[in-house]
Amino acid sequence: MLFNSLTFVAFFAIVIGLYNLPFPWRVKKFNLLIASYLFYAAWSPPFVILLWISTVVDWKAAQWIHNSDSTSKRRLFLSLSLATNLGILGYFKYGGFLLENFTALMASIGIDYQPAAWNIILPVGISFYTFQTMAYSLDVYLKRAAPAKSLLDFSLFVTFFPQLVAGPIVRPSQLIPQFAEPKRATSSQFYWGLGLITLGLFEKIVLADTFLAPAVDAVFGSGKSLAPLDAWTGVLAFSGQIFFDFSGYSTIAIGAALCLGFALPNNFRFPYAAIGFSDFWRRWHISLSTWLRDYLYIPLGGNKKGPVRTYINLSITMLLGGLWHGASWTFVVWGGLHGLYLAGERLLREFVPKQKWFSGWPFKIAMALVTYFLVNITWVFFRAQSFEEAMRMLASMFGFGAGEKVLYLNEILPAALVIAGMVVTHWMMRSTTKEAVIEKAPAWLIGVVWTFLLFMLVIAQGSDSAFIYFQF
Amino acid sequence: MPSSTSNSDGAYPAVKTSFFDPETVDRPVPVRPWRVILFASLAALIALTALWEVYWRGKGFVGNDFKNSSSLWTQERRKAVGDETVLLGSSRMYYDIDLDIWEELSGIRPLQLSLEGTSPRITLKELAEDDRFTGTVIIGVTKLVFFTQFGGVREDVLDYYTDETPSQRIGHRFSQLPEPFLAFLDEQTRPKRQLTIAKFPLRDGMKPRFDPRKLEVVTADRNAKVWTRIMDEEPYRKEAQDQWLLAFELFAPPPAADGGPPPPMPDAVIDGIISEVSANIEKIRARGGRVAFVQPPYTGPFIDVEDFGFPQERFWDRLLTGTNSVGVTFKDYPEMQGLYLPEWSHLGPQAARDFTRSLVPVLYAEMHARDNAIEAE
Repeated sequence: MLFNSLTFVAFFAIVIGLYNLPFPWRVKKFNLLIASYLFYAAWSPPFVILLWISTVVDWKAAQWIHNSDSTSKRRLFLSLSLATNLGILGYFKYGGFLLENFTALMASIGIDYQPAAWNIILPVGISFYTFQTMAYSLDVYLKRAAPAKSLLDFSLFVTFFPQLVAGPIVRPSQLIPQFAEPKRATSSQFYWGLGLITLGLFEKIVLADTFLAPAVDAVFGSGKSLAPLDAWTGVLAFSGQIFFDFSGYSTIAIGAALCLGFALPNNFRFPYAAIGFSDFWRRWHISLSTWLRDYLYIPLGGNKKGPVRTYINLSITMLLGGLWHGASWTFVVWGGLHGLYLAGERLLREFVPKQKWFSGWPFKIAMALVTYFLVNITWVFFRAQSFEEAMRMLASMFGFGAGEKVLYLNEILPAALVIAGMVVTHWMMRSTTKEAVIEKAPAWLIGVVWTFLLFMLVIAQGSDSAFIYFQF
Repeated sequence: MPSSTSNSDGAYPAVKTSFFDPETVDRPVPVRPWRVILFASLAALIALTALWEVYWRGKGFVGNDFKNSSSLWTQERRKAVGDETVLLGSSRMYYDIDLDIWEELSGIRPLQLSLEGTSPRITLKELAEDDRFTGTVIIGVTKLVFFTQFGGVREDVLDYYTDETPSQRIGHRFSQLPEPFLAFLDEQTRPKRQLTIAKFPLRDGMKPRFDPRKLEVVTADRNAKVWTRIMDEEPYRKEAQDQWLLAFELFAPPPAADGGPPPPMPDAVIDGIISEVSANIEKIRARGGRVAFVQPPYTGPFIDVEDFGFPQERFWDRLLTGTNSVGVTFKDYPEMQGLYLPEWSHLGPQAARDFTRSLVPVLYAEMHARDNAIEAE
C-alpha cells in the first residue's frame, strides 16, 4: 500500500480508530500486526509468506543462539538465520543478476549457455526487512541483546507497517522494547505525527513527483547525448527527487508511528549540507549507513587493523552498500565511488595538516559544494539504467556530448527553483532540527505553512508513482 | 537492552543532532497549540479548495468527469468476459461512439476499451489471448495509428491491467467517490500538467512539443465526449487544431532519398500487420466470438494525411479482405458524413450521437449478413 494513496488514508484512519478503542494492549498489538500484514498484502498477498518465514526463522534461531553454550552451535544457528534471510534476498533480488553475469562469463570463455528467462518478481521492501531481521539475530549472537520475550512483539518488529517497506531500518533495541508496554500517542505526538505525514507527502507528491520528476524522466529517458544544461538539470533534479522521495517516505513513516505513540529514528539530516563524505553518510539514509557500520564494517575489523585493512574494509562496505540498492553493476559503481570518496577524505585528513582557515565559513561552504558536486556524479550511476547511459550522461555534463536539448523551460525552471531552495534550506538547517525550528516559529506561521502543504497536496491530486526506494 | 525509547513530550530538550543511537530513539515533539493550528489549517484548506473549485468551474471543468486512468480502463476490461461487446480503437472510437445511443438501439451496452493515441492491435492481441472472452469486438480504425504502430501512448495500461495490486484497485474506487462532485479533480488542473502546458519561451533550436490539451469528458464507464470548451471556445479549439498541425510536422515520415514524397508503406509490411490482426481475430472467432471494423470520420488536414498516406483500398479494403471481416466506413454512408468535427479528428457530442445512431443498425446488419453467409456455407 502506498502512503500517497487514498487507500492508505482509509487504512490509517481505521488503524488509528481501532488502536484508540479500549482493548487490552495485547489485542491492540494483534490488531497492529494484522494491519501490517494487510498493508504488505495490498501489493501482493503471497509475499506475506516471506515475512512469516523471516519471522519464524529469526525468532527460533535467536532463541537457539541464546540458549546454546557452544560457539559452534551458536554459529550454526546464526548461519541458519543469515542463510534464510540472505537466501530469500539472493533468490528474489540477485538471482537474475547472478544468472546474467554467469551467462556473460560463460560466453567470454566461448560457452554458449542460454538459461531460461528469470521472471521473478521482486517483493517490495525485501532489502529493508531482511536487514532488519538479520540485525536481530546478529545482536543476539553478538550478545548485544537478549531475544525478544514475546513472539507477538517480535512479529510486530519485523512487520510494523510504517517502516516495513522502505525503512528506517530499525534496530531491535530501538523498537521491540516499545511494544512491551501499552502505548498511546499524546495529543501533541498525534498532531505532530500528522504534521510529519503532511510534510512527507508534500516532499513526495509535490516536490519529487510534480516539480522534479519531469526533468529527470526527460533527461534520463532521452537516450541521447545532451547539452550540458540539460544533463546537469537532469542530474541535479534527480539529487532532489531521490532525496524528497526517500526522505518523504521516512518522514511519513516516523509521523505514522508517532500517531500511534511509537518513536522511529531519523533517517535523514539535511544531507546536502554535508561537508565531506563521512558527514554525508551521517546525514543520508542513516539507518542503512549505521547498519553497514555496525554489522559489516566493524565486524570486518573497521579501522582497528591498520590503514590498509581500513581502506579495504571501507571499500567492501560501500561496494556491498551499493549492491544492496539494486542488482546491477551501476549500483556497485555508485557504492564504489562513495567508498573511494570516503577513503580519499580519510587520506586527506591524515596527510593534510589542519589549518586555521579550515574552520572558516568560506572553506566550509566550498567543501559542502564540492561534496554536493561529487555526490551528484554518483547519482548518475544510481539513476542510469546502464553504464553506457551513465557514461553518455557524464560526457554530456562536461560538454563532450552532441549537445541535444530535450528540456523545455517548463521543466528547467521548476527544477532549478526547487533545487536551489533545497540546497539553501539544507544549509540553513545544517545544525538544527525541524522540531527546534517549529518550537520557535509563531503559531500563525505554522498554520499558514501547514495549510499551504495540505492545499498543494489536494490540488496535486495524488502521485504518479511509487516511492523510488520500494524497488530496493 | 534498554527498556524503552525516549519519546519526550511536553518537555522539549535542547537541540540534539547526534548521529545515531542504536539503542534508543529520541523523538522530541515541539510544544505548540497543535489542536488550534490543525483546525485553523483545515478550515483555511476547505476555503482555499472551494475557491480552487470555483476557479476551475469557471474554466469549463465539470463534475462527473472521471479521470481516464489506467485504473478506469482496467475496471472496464475486467468486465470483458463471456459474450460482452467490446469497443477497441484509438481516440476516434473513444470519443465518437455514444454508449447510451448504442445501448438504446441494440439493447447492448458495449464496454469502451479504446485508448487514445494507441493502436487497437495491442488490445486486440490481449483480448484474443484471454480464453474467458467469447463476445463481440468492434475495432475502430484510424489508419494513421492502426498501421504505423503496435502500441502507443497508452500501451502501459496493459501492464497495469495484469499487475494492478489490491491497493491500487481499492484506491481507484476511493478516488472515484469525489469525482462526481469536484470539477477540479482533472488531469489538466494538476500543477504538474499546468507546468507542462504553460507557455514559456522556447529555447534556441527547440521545436514546440506535441501535447494535446484536454479534449474530452468521461463518465464512470468511459463514455467519452468531446469537451464543451472545444465546441464553444474558438481559441481553445484553435489550440487543439494547432496541436494536430504540429503533430503532422513533427511526425511526418522522412522524405524519399531523392527528396521526393516519402515512399509508401511496402505491401509486405501491410500484409504482415493484417496477418497479425487476422491471427488474433481467428482466436476470438474460434471461441465463438465475432469481430467487425469501423472507420470513424475525419476532416480538414486529416483528409490529406490519411487519404494520401493511407489510401483506402490499400489499407481499409485490404484489412477487411485479409481478415475476412465486415466493416463500416463513414465514406460509404452519406448520413455519416458532414458531421461536425471541431478539431478535425473527433466528432462533437451531438455529432457523435448522430454517428452512433447511423452506425449501429448498419454495423449489426453487416455482422448478421456475415453470420448468415457463414451459416449458409
